Amino acid sequence: MNCLKAEKLLLRSLDGRLDGRPRDLLAKHLEACPACRKAEAQYRSMFSLLKADGATAPLPRFWERLEPRLREETELVPLLFWERWSLRAIPVFLALVILIGGFHFFAPQARELSQSATLLIENRDPLSETQALFDADKPDTQTMMLLFASLDEKSPARRPTP
Amino acid sequence: MEEEQLVRLAQEGSPAAFEELVTKYQPKVFSMALSFTRNREAADDLAQEIFLKAYLALPRFHGKSEFGTWLYRISVNHIKDFLRKKGRAKEVSLDDVPEVSFSDREQTEKAQEERETEARRTLVQRFVQSLPEKYRVIVTLRDIQGLAYEDISRILRLSPGTVDSRLHRARRMLRLKLAPYLTAEGGANELSQG
Repeated sequence: MNCLKAEKLLLRSLDGRLDGRPRDLLAKHLEACPACRKAEAQYRSMFSLLKADGATAPLPRFWERLEPRLREETELVPLLFWERWSLRAIPVFLALVILIGGFHFFAPQARELSQSATLLIENRDPLSETQALFDADKPDTQTMMLLFASLDEKSPARRPTP
Repeated sequence: MEEEQLVRLAQEGSPAAFEELVTKYQPKVFSMALSFTRNREAADDLAQEIFLKAYLALPRFHGKSEFGTWLYRISVNHIKDFLRKKGRAKEVSLDDVPEVSFSDREQTEKAQEERETEARRTLVQRFVQSLPEKYRVIVTLRDIQGLAYEDISRILRLSPGTVDSRLHRARRMLRLKLAPYLTAEGGANELSQG
């Protein structure tokens, strides 16, 4: 066994995690190796110095000092919660606006039928209403009626063109 | 009252239950913070912050691990953050080693021994603080706090094999640094001659 392997086993042994054949092998190695015996002594010394000093007591009135801080933080929690979620709500809101806008923009819209199309679908003569205009006796009356009819029309395409 | 019950009551908002948990774990949390900071006031502040953090995180504790393990994990992470913010620990030089005069004949032998031990302890702890963070944490948990390998593995979320090898490296590193101050007989060399 070389010294590196022995050191590994030595640390396990000092932790109380070595038994059986490896422990015998280590004991044999330590007997023959002064360097590893020295390392063992150094580790023992180091561990005894490292052990926590139980004499150091915490500062007094720990809970009395902690409790007001807990209360204060607990009161702040809903506020912090809202702050955190309001920040997250902004992108969510924007995404919703884009989504709804996009839906309305791209969704196929029901086309509004023109008056003539409606009359044709209803199997009525689309010229019957305008016929009255052309049947008027006086040209002035005819012009006035045409003017008012054009004002009533919704679609600019249906306005009479000069 | 059982710890599980205390945790459940604390989660439901009982300050008395949380106070009991604080009373139970405060010495350990304080001791751990002290091992890292070597300053009672700083350790006390850290312990307060750790319990505050744990209290706010209680709703997220689902009992997958023991409460103690969960609290230690919070402690270690909080202390690591604190140390990172504070900056890297100073490299230990021989100038940092406290002067111990062994020539003071007027002192009793016992008082002298106590002073020597305290000086050596301070020296060792300074060397621990000079180790890289991952080694410092593992040495503190195992060799200063005396936690079991399994607990360390759970707290640091490391495999037992990694804990074993990391601890081995850390101890070796520390022994080599401390070698001039440790005697072969298991005692310690004199730190300085007065």
